[in-house]
Amino acid sequence: MSATLLPEDLPLDAHRRTHSAATKRYGFFPGCVAKESCRELFNSTMLLAERLNIELIELTAASCCGASVINDVNRDVARVLNARTYAQAEALGLDDVITICSTCTGHMRAANKELRDSEGLMDHANAILRKFGAKYEGTVTVRHLLWLLIDDIGLDALRSMVVRPLNGLKVAPFYGCHIIRPESVNGWESARRPHSLEDLIEAIGGEPVDYAGKTRCCGFHIQLEKENVAADMVGQNMRMAADHGAEAVITPCPLCHLALDGYQADSAARWGRTDLPTFHLPQLVAFALGVPADKLGLNKHLIDPRNVLVERDLIA
Amino acid sequence: MAQITLNIFRFDEAVDTVPHRDAVTVDIPETTTVLDALETAKAEVDGSISFRRSCRSAICGSCSMNINGVTGLACKTPCNTVMDENGVVVVDPMPNFQPMKDLVVHMDPFWDKYSRLKPYLQPKDADSAHDRERRVSPDDMKKLVDVANCIMCATCYALCPVVSVDPAFAGPAAIAYAYRFIEDVRDGQRTERIAQISEDYLWLCAHCYACSYCPKHVDPNDRIIDVKRAAIKDRVMMNERGPRHALVVGKTIKQTGMLAETEVIQGTIGRFNVRGLLKVAPLGLRMAAKGKMPPPFVKPIPKVDEVRTIFETLEVPVS
Repeated sequence: MSATLLPEDLPLDAHRRTHSAATKRYGFFPGCVAKESCRELFNSTMLLAERLNIELIELTAASCCGASVINDVNRDVARVLNARTYAQAEALGLDDVITICSTCTGHMRAANKELRDSEGLMDHANAILRKFGAKYEGTVTVRHLLWLLIDDIGLDALRSMVVRPLNGLKVAPFYGCHIIRPESVNGWESARRPHSLEDLIEAIGGEPVDYAGKTRCCGFHIQLEKENVAADMVGQNMRMAADHGAEAVITPCPLCHLALDGYQADSAARWGRTDLPTFHLPQLVAFALGVPADKLGLNKHLIDPRNVLVERDLIA
Repeated sequence: MAQITLNIFRFDEAVDTVPHRDAVTVDIPETTTVLDALETAKAEVDGSISFRRSCRSAICGSCSMNINGVTGLACKTPCNTVMDENGVVVVDPMPNFQPMKDLVVHMDPFWDKYSRLKPYLQPKDADSAHDRERRVSPDDMKKLVDVANCIMCATCYALCPVVSVDPAFAGPAAIAYAYRFIEDVRDGQRTERIAQISEDYLWLCAHCYACSYCPKHVDPNDRIIDVKRAAIKDRVMMNERGPRHALVVGKTIKQTGMLAETEVIQGTIGRFNVRGLLKVAPLGLRMAAKGKMPPPFVKPIPKVDEVRTIFETLEVPVS
């Protein structure tokens, strides 16, 4: 079941039909991690866009979204930084900013909601942007690539584009908190019972694994605060996934990816070995759509995902 | 009327070593609540089914439980919003607590963390110094009313993934209630309260927003951020990793426009904290072996001066 589009005249929201969607030219905000330790996410996103015949126009002068952490020191700075990013998209004639990170999605949407819901906050941001000649008009919608795949491309169209179905590979979805919560900010699907990743896994020929950990936290944001807490959170979630038969995990968030891929080795002492390989969302979709496996940076993962692809006769 | 089947967790700590499940079917309108279904099951089918409830209208905070795997108030959850196509609703006791009997749990850890806060006003001066009641402006009171709506149902505590792996974490409700006194202009223990909640791992909140499911819209997730800002503003326990992390993230964004991963790790742990750095070294080495290390230095984004202007105008503290 896919999410339905709302009529165009509703307030700018997650399901809005954007001008960018009509022209297939989208503003693209890769975020910091896809440009630093998860380059394979950036590269596989661009390869997927090529297959989908859409144009992702990177906002090269955009700053970090604030990564949820910057809120701890100041209530305004993330909102104004993101207003600056949206102004760049508007200057390029784009009204859609596509993200590939759950944390970017949630925090950029939160900033946009504040800006649009309160004239005072929009004026406050624009007074600072004016110092360097920028202005945000409030026309931008922030969406995750996952939402673009389902709302703009469509599951049926995706299904018809699949050239290498996943042969029933059992894939556990791992959403990442900020793409679903808080519901008042995201609201694209139910935070308590989301199913977009399951729908997507099915569309590319995999078998989605249902487990309670799929909407829980990976612990990334506190990995440095206290030893073992993040590793325990990873272990708990991956134990559940493994016990429900998962062979691999898919996540729309590179922060979750770093935690899940990095900490399963450390969590084994308490939770038992799980060793579930974790795919970035665009990696697995691009693979099913025929992008050669060796172009997807699978060799960069700590838990090598190529083994399960071999086991399922998907690669040699 | 509809047939609702409750799939209920059954356990009695006095006699059972392992729990079992019972399915109990009742005839009730499907728009009534899960609590109504439980009350009907107890009255008409099995009087031994145990659960806490009192007000039946989301005021007393007694009936929080897991409903189809998500914690919430049974009295605020209509059956037709959670039942499956066969009319089945799965109910379990709140997670993160020791079960006592069926849906009743031992609440002690929750109350312990709450009482550690000294959850009462500790005024700055003696009553005798005032010839009338201490007054609070409407603006100052507005900050506190949302938190005052907390009914201590422990839904947030049960949903918290950090509590589930580290019971030392204060949990969302206690931090939100600490905020209620930290921001009370009449209270004289602001610094001590911030220090106390920092010791109870304020900075271990994982930013997951699970507590945004709060049935009373206290939104502990936002109050936790407020308390962290108070800690940074008052410079309380600033050498902890939490505040160091927040301030170094700000520093790298101000300098480069990007969150520079390498510098954030060093700045949080401490550049000269050899033992701390050695602890993260194994993961770093595993990543390096895969060519997956973040770059040591990040190139500033184009027009990074604009980002610095934003930080300077807003006087954002950075390390």
